[in-house]
Amino acid sequence: MTLPSRLLIKSSLICLLVGVLLGALILINKALNIDPEIWGLLPVHIELMIFGWIIQFTLGVAYWILPRYLKGEARGNRLPAYLMVLLFNLGIWLMVFAELTEAGDYIHLVARGLEFSAVVLFISLHWKRIVSFNKNRH
Amino acid sequence: MPLITRLFLKTGLVYFLGALLVGILLQVDALGIPNLVPMFWHMLMVGWITQIIMGVSLWMFPGRIKEESFQNQKWAWLAYGFLNLGLILRFASEPMIVLSEGYHWKILLVISAILQFVAVLCYVIEIWPRVLSKAQRRKKNKSSR
Repeated sequence: MTLPSRLLIKSSLICLLVGVLLGALILINKALNIDPEIWGLLPVHIELMIFGWIIQFTLGVAYWILPRYLKGEARGNRLPAYLMVLLFNLGIWLMVFAELTEAGDYIHLVARGLEFSAVVLFISLHWKRIVSFNKNRH
Repeated sequence: MPLITRLFLKTGLVYFLGALLVGILLQVDALGIPNLVPMFWHMLMVGWITQIIMGVSLWMFPGRIKEESFQNQKWAWLAYGFLNLGLILRFASEPMIVLSEGYHWKILLVISAILQFVAVLCYVIEIWPRVLSKAQRRKKNKSSR
């Protein structure tokens, strides 16, 4: 498993742990009405579980497992791959920060922009790897 | 495919079906069951997608011990058991905390939250050391011989 995949997968496992911990807190609060402020963690829980866990894990496995190039670097240039990991995680954690601090809308915009840039890099890295090496298939 | 993976996948498929059934109930809104929206999303995202990811990764990731036994796969089995017990308790108690005055439903909901977190912890303990490069895998195989 290559380093960008390992970074994405391990980051996704951290997001899973934190996301489920927050989810458990929200559920316990739902049962016991400890503090209404805890409901404010819901958007962070959703961000960490959808983007941080499910999407990030999928990106990591796809980078590892999709067909590799026959010539040159097996998975293409590594630099955009590392940049993708960095931008995606910056986006997620900036979004978490924005939700926790009630920062302005522009922080949310920057966070989503970072995630968008990471996805553009992901697509550019993988578009040509979505192929069949079987010549009989179209 | 190991038994634990087959269990994760088949249980995931059952939750997938259950989620869509709850989705239909939500549209009809005939039964008046409270808290159906969070149930729908958690059946889909935890019961279905997360269980599929867990099951497939336990099978596909490097470093799997081929010989199947509880001892060799204890964290995976604990993750499966705690997660599904937690989900069942959640889906039973979440509507009941609105429908019933009984305090025990609230306690069951708290237990379900703790079980789901512990399940995820068990899964991470199993899978984290298996996120390996080829070189790390070779080194691990050599040292285990």
